[in-house]
Amino acid sequence: MVDTTKNTKLFTSYGVKTSKAITTEVAAKLISKAKRPLLVVGTLALSPEVLDRAVKIAQAKNIPIAATGSSMHGFVGKDVNAKYINAHALGFYLTDPNWPGLDGNGNYDTIIILGFKKYYINQVLSAVKNFSDVKSISIGKDYIQNATMSFGNLSKEDHIAALDEIITLL
Amino acid sequence: MSKLTTGSFSIEDLESVQITINNIVGAAKEAAEEKVKELGPMGPTPYPSIATLRDWSFTLFDRYEPVYTPMCDQCCYCTFGPCNLEGNKRGACGIDMKGQTAREFFLRCITGCACHSAHGRHLLDHIIELFGEDMPINMGASNVIAPNIQLVTGEQPKTLGDLKPIMEYVEEELGQLLATIHAGQEGAAIDYDNKSMLAGVLDHVGMEVSDIAQVTALGFPKSDPEAPLVEVGMGTIDKSKPTIIAIGHNVAGVTYIMDYMEEHGLTDKMEIGGLCCTAFDMTRYKREDRKAPYAKIVGTISKELKVVRSGIPDVIVLDEQCVRADLVAEGQKLKIPIIASNEKIMYGLPDRTNDDVDAIIEDLKTGKMPGCVMLDYDKLGELVPRLAMEMAPLREGISAIPTDEEMVALVSKCVECGECALACPEELAIPAAIAVAKGGDYSALEELHDLCIGCRRCEQVCNKEIPILSLIEKASLKAIAEEKGLVRAGRGQVSDPEIRAEGLNLVMGTTPGVIAIIGCSNYPAGSRDVYNIAEEFLNRNYLVAVSGCSAMDIGMYKDADGKTLYERFPGRFEKGNILNTGSCVSNSHISGTAHKVAAIFAGRNLSGNLAEIADYTLNRVGAVGLAWGAYSQKAAAIGTGCNMYGIPAVLGPHSGKYRRALIAKTYDDSKWKVYEGRNGSEMDIPPAPEFLITTAETWQEACVMMAKNCIRPSDNNMGRSIKLTHWIELSEKYLGVMPEDWWKFVRHEADLPLSKREALLKILEAEHGFEIDWKKKKIISGPKIKFDVSSQPTNLKRLCKEA
Repeated sequence: MVDTTKNTKLFTSYGVKTSKAITTEVAAKLISKAKRPLLVVGTLALSPEVLDRAVKIAQAKNIPIAATGSSMHGFVGKDVNAKYINAHALGFYLTDPNWPGLDGNGNYDTIIILGFKKYYINQVLSAVKNFSDVKSISIGKDYIQNATMSFGNLSKEDHIAALDEIITLL
Repeated sequence: MSKLTTGSFSIEDLESVQITINNIVGAAKEAAEEKVKELGPMGPTPYPSIATLRDWSFTLFDRYEPVYTPMCDQCCYCTFGPCNLEGNKRGACGIDMKGQTAREFFLRCITGCACHSAHGRHLLDHIIELFGEDMPINMGASNVIAPNIQLVTGEQPKTLGDLKPIMEYVEEELGQLLATIHAGQEGAAIDYDNKSMLAGVLDHVGMEVSDIAQVTALGFPKSDPEAPLVEVGMGTIDKSKPTIIAIGHNVAGVTYIMDYMEEHGLTDKMEIGGLCCTAFDMTRYKREDRKAPYAKIVGTISKELKVVRSGIPDVIVLDEQCVRADLVAEGQKLKIPIIASNEKIMYGLPDRTNDDVDAIIEDLKTGKMPGCVMLDYDKLGELVPRLAMEMAPLREGISAIPTDEEMVALVSKCVECGECALACPEELAIPAAIAVAKGGDYSALEELHDLCIGCRRCEQVCNKEIPILSLIEKASLKAIAEEKGLVRAGRGQVSDPEIRAEGLNLVMGTTPGVIAIIGCSNYPAGSRDVYNIAEEFLNRNYLVAVSGCSAMDIGMYKDADGKTLYERFPGRFEKGNILNTGSCVSNSHISGTAHKVAAIFAGRNLSGNLAEIADYTLNRVGAVGLAWGAYSQKAAAIGTGCNMYGIPAVLGPHSGKYRRALIAKTYDDSKWKVYEGRNGSEMDIPPAPEFLITTAETWQEACVMMAKNCIRPSDNNMGRSIKLTHWIELSEKYLGVMPEDWWKFVRHEADLPLSKREALLKILEAEHGFEIDWKKKKIISGPKIKFDVSSQPTNLKRLCKEA
């Protein structure tokens, strides 16, 4: 198993509350247990090895995908339920209990984050963290402080291996 | 008795005479009547203060809700704290997280506003001292010469002296606004947001004063679509010549240097280049005759350290804004004297303003001091060129770029610990690039050059003390030498005749939109982003307006024929044109253009009438701003001013750090209604613009967002069809799919893109319940939004005829 919790080093801090570093097992369990999960995939997930795994994670539990930035391109023709949405708007809508969601069935209880620059997703998640009850789980290669839970900082190789572990565990 | 009117009179030689002024109302009334004759009746909000425009702010916030993304859980502002506000808790003073975040954003807006306005104040006082208060304002072929000033204050200045009370107004309001930052003042987030909007408005007024003063007095191009082309890029500097590099935004002092160079025949014997907006204004100085400037634009703030490390400057002269705080330390290492020419940045250097130029040169040459303050511009004009000439031979060959041997040794020191990557604000893969360099291949390091913002955070955390920035520069020497582009010198305002010619196309939508690309260089994927965006929209016949550092970066790239966008596309205010208004303060001409469309094309009264004009722009003028590399507080102020004026703005992903966006709930139908101006009834509108200020993740996403948000309720069928065509095409091109909600914008079959009409009608019928008459290929029922070419969409009930 990849130790996804060991390196949570920061250059700057977003303040008092930082995300809990989690293992692939915990991540998989939380994703499985979520009543209404949403896989939020950013543009950095367009590298073939990450994209392939994002698709597999979505397929494993039939999780809808919020494709932000330019990532939607990667999901065209794949057997997943992906829709484009701007990440900043998504962060706002997640704080609104009345948001109908991407499918009209209401807001989400858990978002799973993958494929973002740290600086961008941390800002988006600062709205979710402070102004909503939505749980955010980052399974990207960097430690995301403003997520509820996150992998630590990982090498590319370890990150891919960790995603594979999640897929197996789902 | 003679009748007195406004003005001044003196009575000399009178003794022991009491003069009683009983009533001057008549004179004031006469003057007011004259003003009404010229400018139209005064609107409801001249010289607004904090409360004056609150209703309009709140009208905007009702649809475009403030979205807070705090940078920190804590507030560390007063001695009650630090307080943990996480989860919207309240601090010891009672402020909650939303309030604190709104205050932080507001602080950025007033800082930006203060920067532009203080710049304007300095320039105005300086120029009035030189040319007098009575110098007539000259902005080119326009009657509406100061649209922001007129809109906000109700005044139309005629002379430089008329700008003084405008500056005084801005300064007073800034003081009032600044006071509200104090602990225990404002407590409601939304009221900080209202204050931010006022700060943004004041920012545009301050910028306009600044540019009016310099365009009028310093011989800048005046609404000239054919302002000369200027060389831009680090590769444009002839290193064999003594070189002056000017950094900052306020050109006042540099004009003396240029005058000295001209008077002493030095313009071809030495180089003068600039970084940031001073560079733009150097190339506008005395260039209303369209003569090619000899001053060069080196680049943006991202290039400051790279230029210093290159060793190219023989002297650096600073004024104000966007100047790195470490230039003295960096310059000292390479024997580059730093001359601070403005009180706002004095860097701890000795003030030699009152000293003899020869003595100062001697002290700088011998390294007795690393630089100095020089606030006497006559002396500055002489000091800087002479110093550059004397330093050049002493500095020959000095640079921070490692030799080939040093490079090998430095990269081999790297242990790939990853600290630099963690510290890099752009999250660049520096360790991986150095690892490749260990094998003698510097291409990965070279790839970092354009992505790197030159901040040197990487160097400060390097345990091996590797000068990483210099490694990147060494690896990129060829690329840097080839950095040679062209940008059109700032043209200033859009003229009234241009507005008359283009206004109808804009309001009807047949010019698909104005894309205004402004701001700095904190791009997510390098400077080519802004070129790509500009080219995409120019090829689609949008009108692209640019300014400041983005305008520079757009000029850095060429097509297959070696031509920049400024050579390929003309510079008029017309579809398919790219017009550069100029430096940072010239951004006021972009917002001013929207006001002019309302005033000149639509005949709306501009004076003191902000809400009505902004309402007009929001509902009818398809303009979207893009501050793709916005890093500074000034960009926050500019964007927020645009928002108050009804112009939405997209920011780059770094700008989430401004902490506050304005985003609408596209899914809440109750927010997408306006009044029908003809009778006050409610009418549905499509969900665009869907934000006033927000961020995009990539330039490709930004293109799709901007095309969508050029859609306005007033578009006619052809205009809507054109706008839908571009939005759908861009979505398919960059996101790979049709937009989800395109059908919400269809009012009539004529709104549909011609080339896809039949296919789209089928989708409307199959997926969205539209009823189609297939014989006539017409929509029978379905659209929620009705189209009426005469409709008058407005958010202001008071403007409705039967209200």
